[in-house]
Amino acid sequence: MKPDHYERGHALAAEYVIGTLQGKARRRFERWMMESPRLRRQVWYWERNFQPLNHAVEPVVPPPQAWNNIDRRLFGTPRQAAERVAPWRWAAGLAMVALLAVLVWTPYPTAPAPVVGYLGVVQDQQSQPLWLLDASQKSHELTLKALPTVPAPGPNQSYELWLLPTSGAPVSLALLPTGGAELRVTLSPDQLQDLLRSRHLAISIEPAGGSPTGQPTGPVVYQTRLVSL
Amino acid sequence: MPFSRETLADYLAKSAQGDRNAFALLYQKSSGALFGMCVHLLGNRDEAQDALQEVYVQVWHHAGEYHADRGTPLTWMMSICRYRCLDVLRKRQREAGGDNMINSLQCERPGPMQNAMASIDRHRLNDCLRDLDEGYRTSIEMAYFRGLSHQQLAQAMGQPLGTAKSWLRRGLDTLRRCLSQ
Repeated sequence: MKPDHYERGHALAAEYVIGTLQGKARRRFERWMMESPRLRRQVWYWERNFQPLNHAVEPVVPPPQAWNNIDRRLFGTPRQAAERVAPWRWAAGLAMVALLAVLVWTPYPTAPAPVVGYLGVVQDQQSQPLWLLDASQKSHELTLKALPTVPAPGPNQSYELWLLPTSGAPVSLALLPTGGAELRVTLSPDQLQDLLRSRHLAISIEPAGGSPTGQPTGPVVYQTRLVSL
Repeated sequence: MPFSRETLADYLAKSAQGDRNAFALLYQKSSGALFGMCVHLLGNRDEAQDALQEVYVQVWHHAGEYHADRGTPLTWMMSICRYRCLDVLRKRQREAGGDNMINSLQCERPGPMQNAMASIDRHRLNDCLRDLDEGYRTSIEMAYFRGLSHQQLAQAMGQPLGTAKSWLRRGLDTLRRCLSQ
């Protein structure tokens, strides 16, 4: 009997989601779900409300062949997940312009003769400087100076500067100025720490105003590992 | 959690449009959580890997069916994942000749429910679970985290089948009333 009663629908939906609705009853419920928007919403209600429990289960990294098998089944051409999961890094490898940066800083507060700043220079393939990056460890400020040589990023596009931490997702630092302009950004303590630890920066081309997702979406045109002096 | 809701939604939307790179990113960002659930429920990495592969094949083919009413993209994928693992469990039980007890039930380290209740501060579910009678809460935990059937629940809790079913039903009903307050 189809569960027309609201309460009965909820009771079945809950047992469907936690898994105790089984066998023929489960299959029958799935058919009812296809016919009943209300029953579907009741199932989604329980799925949403139980989602926090899923965080209690420790993540486990699956073996690489799991991805290869999925790729082969869906597309017939297994490729290494690592090659595919970071297209912006891959794009960076094909970057047309190299970033040369010079770093002058001290990572240890207790080190003698602390240096309070570091400097980076972004150059194009012809060694033409494009941006100067000047960061102060003391004030947590990053000054981004665009030289007149910076090419226009295209209509409705911006250059976005990303910090690449040693682990985790890229962190947006700023939209880079163009045409000789200068921008001063205050870094959070975490950003500064990550920057000093990883020394990796990348610049991507994003829609005007920056990436809509909080992660690089466009081609990465410059990337480098900063060098400590 | 290392998940960005917008990012997963973006990858999922692009996957629905046939973007294989976005699908690879979706896999990279979510497969640890899903594989963890499969390993937990199935207790066997080979079966867990088979289930995981089925899940992502489904995710690829049905990515366009996701919408916000399903919860976050991870909620949606985790549901697909749990249902797949539950199917594997039921099939295993049928082939073993019925609802035999599971040895791992005797393992009584702090359960995932306790971990969840410690980690989901400020979530309404946390408060409501705490307010449940112990029998109700335990029946929900065993069903959700161990994939037990009614019969197995009754065995695990040392109660008649009717009582176990009743506890689960009342527990879920009480939980819903609390969540809707």
